[in-house]
Amino acid sequence: MLKMAVMIKQVPDSQDITIDPVTKTLNRTQARNIVNPPDMNALEAALQLKDKYGGEITVITMGPPMADSALLECTSRGADKAVLVTDRVFAGADTWPTSFTLATTAEYLGGFDIIFCGEETTDSSTGHVGPGIAEFLGVEQATYIHSIDYQDPYFIVEREIEGAVETLKIGKPAVVTVVLNANNPRRPTLKRKIEAFRKGVTTITNKELKLRPECVGLKGSPTVVKDMKTMVDKPKDTVKIGPEEITKVVEVLYQRGIVKC
Amino acid sequence: MSDFDAIVVGAGNAGSSAAIYMASKGLNVLLVDRADPPGAKNLSGGVLWGNDLAQILPKWQSEAPLERFINNKKLGFLTEKSSFMLDFKTQIFEENKVGYTVLRSKFDPWLAKKAKEAGALVIPGITVESLAIKDRKVIGIVESGDTITADVTLLAEGVNARLAIEAGLKRPLRDSDVSLGIKEIIKLSPQKIEDRFNLKNNSGVASEYILGFLGELNVGGFLYTNKDSLSLGVVVPMENLRENGITHSYDLIEMFKEHPSIAPLIEGGQVAEYGAHLIPEGGLEMMPKLYGNGYMILGDAAGFAFSNGLVLQGMNYAILSGIKAGETAVEAKLRNNFSEQSLSAYEEKLNSTYVLKDLKTFKDIRKVTNNPMMYNTYPKLLESIMLETLWERGQPKKKIRDVLSSCASNLNMGRIKTLREFYYIYRRM
Amino acid sequence: MMDIKERLGTLKYDVDKEYAHITVDEKICEKCPHHFCVMACPAQCYTLQNGKLIFNYEDCVECGTCSIACDQGSVTWHYPKAGKGVIYKFG
Repeated sequence: MLKMAVMIKQVPDSQDITIDPVTKTLNRTQARNIVNPPDMNALEAALQLKDKYGGEITVITMGPPMADSALLECTSRGADKAVLVTDRVFAGADTWPTSFTLATTAEYLGGFDIIFCGEETTDSSTGHVGPGIAEFLGVEQATYIHSIDYQDPYFIVEREIEGAVETLKIGKPAVVTVVLNANNPRRPTLKRKIEAFRKGVTTITNKELKLRPECVGLKGSPTVVKDMKTMVDKPKDTVKIGPEEITKVVEVLYQRGIVKC
Repeated sequence: MSDFDAIVVGAGNAGSSAAIYMASKGLNVLLVDRADPPGAKNLSGGVLWGNDLAQILPKWQSEAPLERFINNKKLGFLTEKSSFMLDFKTQIFEENKVGYTVLRSKFDPWLAKKAKEAGALVIPGITVESLAIKDRKVIGIVESGDTITADVTLLAEGVNARLAIEAGLKRPLRDSDVSLGIKEIIKLSPQKIEDRFNLKNNSGVASEYILGFLGELNVGGFLYTNKDSLSLGVVVPMENLRENGITHSYDLIEMFKEHPSIAPLIEGGQVAEYGAHLIPEGGLEMMPKLYGNGYMILGDAAGFAFSNGLVLQGMNYAILSGIKAGETAVEAKLRNNFSEQSLSAYEEKLNSTYVLKDLKTFKDIRKVTNNPMMYNTYPKLLESIMLETLWERGQPKKKIRDVLSSCASNLNMGRIKTLREFYYIYRRM
Repeated sequence: MMDIKERLGTLKYDVDKEYAHITVDEKICEKCPHHFCVMACPAQCYTLQNGKLIFNYEDCVECGTCSIACDQGSVTWHYPKAGKGVIYKFG
């Protein structure tokens, strides 16, 4: 039986983020919170392994208490347990203490055969945390994978590299990061949602993890964001074209192999 | 043993109100909505009369996400070049703040959250597929092949009422049952809104319009002020849109926006959201049987909405029907009897409230609100009367009596027929 | 006049790429005497191109108009699943 973990993050839906016309800063207040999209692919990869080989999936996030709804999204789709790592001392963490705190959580929960992460988050795009967890745990890792299979005691993963697909065999325990759109995340069902919402989430704080405050959160973060500039797209020139020109455009796209008929 | 005492389908005003009532009385309630967050697919004109909400949420005025309280109601008759406005502003509305503009995507998730706080299990993002029916009794709902059971299922699924219709508990909708409402949210700074509409201290205005410049189309318009946006829209009866047959519904709102009396009010505003929704306007004609073995039908799904040209309401009817269905379920639970006979208390309760009283009192109101004269003749009559009396053109002045008769005859309105028409409207409004 | 496509552009959708919640029967539409759906749909999901009815569900605001507008039995109408479809930010 595989013991699996999926690390997820709640992020503002990038579709909802607007730029304040006056201050030119990002306005996230109206944004709906969702599960970081590639994390859903990571969860689906884990669920498919569970469907095939059995096992138990624990979904873990570090974040504020309201991140519980992101965890419930995952247990509604078939993850077995949900763990919310939340504590004031964890707030303001960059990727270093985040990886450290999550790696420690994995150890605290008794360790996992495999830990799945999304390739990166849509709200900070570093891709650090998966590899960071692997390094803190000292286990093997494969990044940017799009498929995974299990042949005890190995995982067989595929990752796309420039112009080719690489197949790797990595030993247990391992950390993998899954690319966006690697698979089609399944829909939740009402029955699963009822179970998930009733079960709720388990909360872990620093009382359990006992990490030194200077190693976590803002204090433990070596990076400092000095400045943030909002990029505003310049309005593009739009040209209105008729049906004849559309045919020409499609022809050119077809000749260049960009669209296939 | 059922999974829940009660399942509520739909987290709008009706469903959430019912869930709040039942959960606060200790029932084990499941509230399921197809949107996530719950209510994010709901849309309405945007004026909420909240009297009934106080029954279940006494502090709603300070807690709910409300936009502006209404102290000014307007009714406008528009012709191609003119507008004739009735403008009622009162300190009394200001002292008794019960009418507010709301944005449903903010208000409905708040109401669903209140249901959760009351103890209901609120599940968003799930579309119920069908009703579970056994031995001619509704025993719950079906989704992804799973049956979730309850002693009573409350159908607050909105105007389209798919579950009720597919289960044969309600007949399919017809043209005559509905109007199509189309709405835009237009962003404008609070300062501009307050200047243009003569508002202060979070006060707001709700205006309804008769659009008398669209030929044979019987279109009503509305314009409500929110904190930093306007809710502007049109309402057209489906019957009338079909008879016309040559106008795209989505163009109607643009025609309204371009009217010379509307354009300056929205100038410089940014369209932040477009939307459309059906409005149940068929009244008693479209009302299904409201209850049966193991179920009740609430809110828009039951056809509870009201429009007489002066007011356009639905949310208050939904809330009150939700509370009454909730009361019925709680009493049925005490009797442990969810039969048709036991749930008939729901209709009895509604009979003693304005919900069913209004539908009965105004059962012929559509004959007034859909009367073509209301749109293509009366606004023009008002315009010509105003021009005759107010426009100094170096002509000898006429007595009001003569103004009326010449204006009416210019519009081919026979005196007897016109009087009969007015009497007809007067009787039904 | 603001183009309907531009107005629909203000809406947020989470489009379900695997499930079309509304389907039409093209054979029935071919014989339809009125194509009232084209006029009625507030989201321009129904258009006529060279006399042929073209339907797309991606812009649908789930109002239900077409299910009433179509009296020929062509429209099969359901709600989207699992929170997919239109998501109003203001409502």
